[in-house]
Amino acid sequence: MAALQGLPDVALVFVYALVTALATGLGAVPFYFVKTISERFVAYSNAIAAGLMAGASFGLVSEGSGHGRLETLGGAVLGVLFILGTQRVLGDHDEEELVFGAATGESARRMLLMLVVMTVHSFSEGVAVGVSFGGGMTLATLITVAIAIHNVPEGVAITAVMRPRGVSVTKCAGWSIVSSLPQPLMAVPAFLFVEAFRPALPWGLGFAAGAMLFMVLVELLPEAYHQGRRARVATLTTLSIISMVLFQRLL
Amino acid sequence: MLDLDPILTVLAWASLAAFAAGLGVLPRAVLGRLPRAVLGWGNALAAGLMLGVAFVLLTEGLPTGIGYGALGGALGVGVVLFTHALTGTAELDLNALDDLDPAYGYQVVLVNTLHAAWEGVAIGAAMLVSVPFGVSMAVALAIHNVPEAMVLTEILAGRGVRLTHAAALAVGANLNQVMMAVVTFAVVSAAPAALPWVVGLAVGALLQLLLSELLPESYHQAGHTSIALVALLAMGMVVAFHGATP
Ligand SMILES: [Zn+2]
Repeated sequence: MAALQGLPDVALVFVYALVTALATGLGAVPFYFVKTISERFVAYSNAIAAGLMAGASFGLVSEGSGHGRLETLGGAVLGVLFILGTQRVLGDHDEEELVFGAATGESARRMLLMLVVMTVHSFSEGVAVGVSFGGGMTLATLITVAIAIHNVPEGVAITAVMRPRGVSVTKCAGWSIVSSLPQPLMAVPAFLFVEAFRPALPWGLGFAAGAMLFMVLVELLPEAYHQGRRARVATLTTLSIISMVLFQRLL
Repeated sequence: MLDLDPILTVLAWASLAAFAAGLGVLPRAVLGRLPRAVLGWGNALAAGLMLGVAFVLLTEGLPTGIGYGALGGALGVGVVLFTHALTGTAELDLNALDDLDPAYGYQVVLVNTLHAAWEGVAIGAAMLVSVPFGVSMAVALAIHNVPEAMVLTEILAGRGVRLTHAAALAVGANLNQVMMAVVTFAVVSAAPAALPWVVGLAVGALLQLLLSELLPESYHQAGHTSIALVALLAMGMVVAFHGATP
């Protein structure tokens, strides 16, 4: 697969990860046309994002297992610990606090907190894009698409919090993109690292999968269930997982 | 094990999984009424093991025919949606400990019975992929049946059902798992071209079930972080220890 586009180089990694960051800005676009977005719509977007992220993680785990099953699982443990660690560092904010819609009429502190949380999340997503290039172009494209689509509802969430406070739609889009800028910045060193130290590849793939799956389970799914009907959430997530695996195999 | 007729192997391991459900009454028998968080972790454990089984079936059980597998998956989702609609359980609170309406007790046992049938399909399909693979899936689902029966016991005990009867009901609800495993294995052995369809069917149904029955309840019963950790750990165990595929 890699032969299709020549060897993936640093520039290509940067561009792919920049695309995922720019996709976050798309989340502000609907607010040009409507004042608010229904909570159900956001819930189902989160359900789809959860499925795409989970399906992408499945791809990372099966690619990583080919290089070493235990190393991949070791990496996944590190990925989970990384997200847990960032949760600790950011303070014990209530898990419900950042749910879309719960934010109306709250302090500006929440706006900032939300941006910080989203920005820190982007670190592990950048790592995911970077290490996935070590598994070939197919995996890299899969991960990039999953994270880019997942970023759109993140942009919606950021805009939904900032817009009622009088921030312009363009600025909301800008802040959304800023929250995802760690993606291109982290992708390149992560890519260089697994290229230089091949034995680190399954660890890196596992790290990304663990971090992404943990975020699916700790944030995306509970938020989706909170605002949406669970049968519909389950269907959207299941079909997204299956499509992602199908997409990876056919690519 | 190698000397056994293949159907007997499937029968033996699927039965082990079904009877493991009887162990689900032990926490209640030893500790009495269980805290809500324990039920949440039980649901998360069951969901994580099921997620692990769906994951390895999807990524390793479909070396060929991924397209048919995906179609089978969509079909599995559809059939689960249909049975939920038919039984009026699509948005039912499955862990209502204080709902003493007689109809509710039947509905919960019915949900568990329909759920178990799909796990039988998964065991049968996995055995066709390879025997060690099938055995590891049966063991994962046997462990999965314990917390699932623990939650069922808590609901039944709250309604005044004796623990021995709860154990019998939990095993009984899982007996069709044995039947479905054997039937799936026998039918697909005779028509091997159906294997990708059946693997996909099991994956779609398992994912739909765990995402609509187990996880939504768990998030109401314990903190999101602990639920995510328990589910991921369980999934990781299945990925770590699953048997070889050809
Ligand atoms: Zn089950």
